[in-house]
Amino acid sequence: MIKTIAHKEFLQMVRDGRFKWVAGIVFCLLLASLVVGWRHYQTLNTQHELAQTRVREQWLSQPEQNPHSGAHYGTYAFKPKTFLSSIDTGIEPYVGAAVWLEAHNQNQFQARPAEDATAVERFGQLTAAVVLQILLPLLIILVSFSAFAGEREEGTLRQLVSLGIKPSHLAAGKALGIAAALALILVPAVVIGVITLSLLTNLAEAKVDSGRMLMMGFLYVLYFSIFISVSLAVSAKARSSRLALVILLGFWIFNGLIAPRFASDLSRSLYPGPSNFEFESNIKLALQYGVDGNTTYREVERKRRTEIMSQYGVNDIKDLPVNFAGIRLQMNEDWGYEVFDKFYGDLHENFRKQNRVQQIGAAVAPLLAIRSLSMGLAGTDYYLHQDFAEKAEMHRRLEVKIINDDITFNGAEAGSKYVNGIDVWEKVPPFQYQMKPVSWVLGNHWVSLLILIMWFGLAGGPLCWTIRSIKAG
Amino acid sequence: MLEAINLSKIYDSGPPALDSLNLRVESGEIFCLLGANGAGKTTTINLFLNFVKPSGGSARVKNLDVVQAPLETKKYLAYIPEQVMLYRNLTGLENLEYFSSLAGRRYKYPDLLPFFEQVGLTTNEAHKRISTYSKGMRQKVGIAIALAKKAEVLLLDEPTSGLDPKASNEFSGLLQKLSSEGVAVFMATHDLFRAKETGTRVGIMKHGRLVDTLDTEGLQHTDLERIYLEHMHD
Repeated sequence: MIKTIAHKEFLQMVRDGRFKWVAGIVFCLLLASLVVGWRHYQTLNTQHELAQTRVREQWLSQPEQNPHSGAHYGTYAFKPKTFLSSIDTGIEPYVGAAVWLEAHNQNQFQARPAEDATAVERFGQLTAAVVLQILLPLLIILVSFSAFAGEREEGTLRQLVSLGIKPSHLAAGKALGIAAALALILVPAVVIGVITLSLLTNLAEAKVDSGRMLMMGFLYVLYFSIFISVSLAVSAKARSSRLALVILLGFWIFNGLIAPRFASDLSRSLYPGPSNFEFESNIKLALQYGVDGNTTYREVERKRRTEIMSQYGVNDIKDLPVNFAGIRLQMNEDWGYEVFDKFYGDLHENFRKQNRVQQIGAAVAPLLAIRSLSMGLAGTDYYLHQDFAEKAEMHRRLEVKIINDDITFNGAEAGSKYVNGIDVWEKVPPFQYQMKPVSWVLGNHWVSLLILIMWFGLAGGPLCWTIRSIKAG
Repeated sequence: MLEAINLSKIYDSGPPALDSLNLRVESGEIFCLLGANGAGKTTTINLFLNFVKPSGGSARVKNLDVVQAPLETKKYLAYIPEQVMLYRNLTGLENLEYFSSLAGRRYKYPDLLPFFEQVGLTTNEAHKRISTYSKGMRQKVGIAIALAKKAEVLLLDEPTSGLDPKASNEFSGLLQKLSSEGVAVFMATHDLFRAKETGTRVGIMKHGRLVDTLDTEGLQHTDLERIYLEHMHD
């Protein structure tokens, strides 16, 4: 019976001219965003891999020089892109994908596409995620607002109820019919997109993580199911299809337009962060006067110099068996680490709190939950960015430590004229970032996952309740 | 087959829409319920369909209470309203296939065509979308649904209202054919002529009460009209 109802719903929908138009537009947008996203991913991934190789080659091909010059020459770390980042670019356009690793400084990320965006792009990019998170729910509403209310107005609901159909079967059939109509858009878009992509590029080279992909697909199905359930429940309860449409459009506007902005403003007002200028000024100040604001680097250096001389049992720095220049450079780094750890730590903690507020905001708008999870699985969320930034910083510190140790232990005789070459450059390993497993992603986004599942359950509940008490006319 | 026992309905503490109706319609019988607007005809049908709950008494189909066994009783019923509402962008055949499937009768398309023939619709018409159908054709599809469902009881709510005399006559013929096959027909109507021509018994309802019941055999049109008007003027 459910299958019969689903088939009829599907048949009616695909014969409806309005559905054809709206679905056609959504299909084209989805296909275009998928193909453009995949091409963009392919191009960027190739560029990043090439740049990472070049940067390594340049690092190794440095001439013989004082190793500290090499530390200043620095290197770049590029954030790897997952295949799914072609679907959801997340916060990537705003936080950047590369960071310059050099001595003395923990730099901020570069290559932020949003910086190069034109005024026209201020409304954001059209990505597959936008189509799936915003436009697909609108399509669901447009095809299902009259599912019950329309039938009641047309009089067909009386006919159906008079046949002795279980209302739950009717609802399940209608939900399946809507899902089948959505599949009519989603499946061909994905298939055509994959075919197009395979013609344009080598799919084997694409880093496709099937686990992440399946999880993302499953979560989007949950998200769409929420909209189907809510739409059917409202349609069953509303006095007219017009009223059902108004209520559902109100929900869509709140979910897609109001809630994300409100959650963002609320998180910033609850946990305000420093401006970029303020952040950099504070770091500069702390590098001069310490994290506590009362200590200068000179004092620390003087104290450490005495300790080192005492440790080696000498009265003059020149008598040390090691190059004090290397020790001093490392001391300077350690001084900086304390400052960077404090300020970047505070900044990241603040972002985490803001993020958590937005995740909890999903309790009123499921978009916030799926957006968070989608970004997480695409590897374009804040948590991955922060983890990458930490790993890049750890690599920078390792690089600087290797160089400073080389100066300390090999440059005692030459002093400030000490030079070295490929031996020391090779000691610095190339930077590699391991992508995190799905479990790590879900661990960071458990609040969003929980709320999405709750939405699924809560949307199903009212549907069952309204369907049970549905009135034929 | 169809039975009302002290069946009553009161909406929002107003006067009774239906007041202690006692009625029995047997297999092969066509009972036509006459009455002015608001007399309680549609309420009676809604109660048999369990669309509304009774305030008192019981509506029974094949000895089953419609409130206690709503799904079971609906298996035996077919309902044809004043305007049979069908899905406009499906064909007549698709509508018939859909409604009969939901009623638990599965047919292949070719097996459904005879039902169209029985109600006087051609194969060509069966393949046309409902949006192209006239009201009379839609009413015939309603009968086809009842035939396909193999309904034992037919509930009709002013089914010939708005039909031209020829279509109305054809419709009556179909009902008589069904009744001759053992179907119990309960029809609410304003049409005295059609009630007399089609029905085996006629009931007159006023202010929610069944005030008279007449056998149509030997009853003249003029007699029925006179009796009806007398009741209305009381």
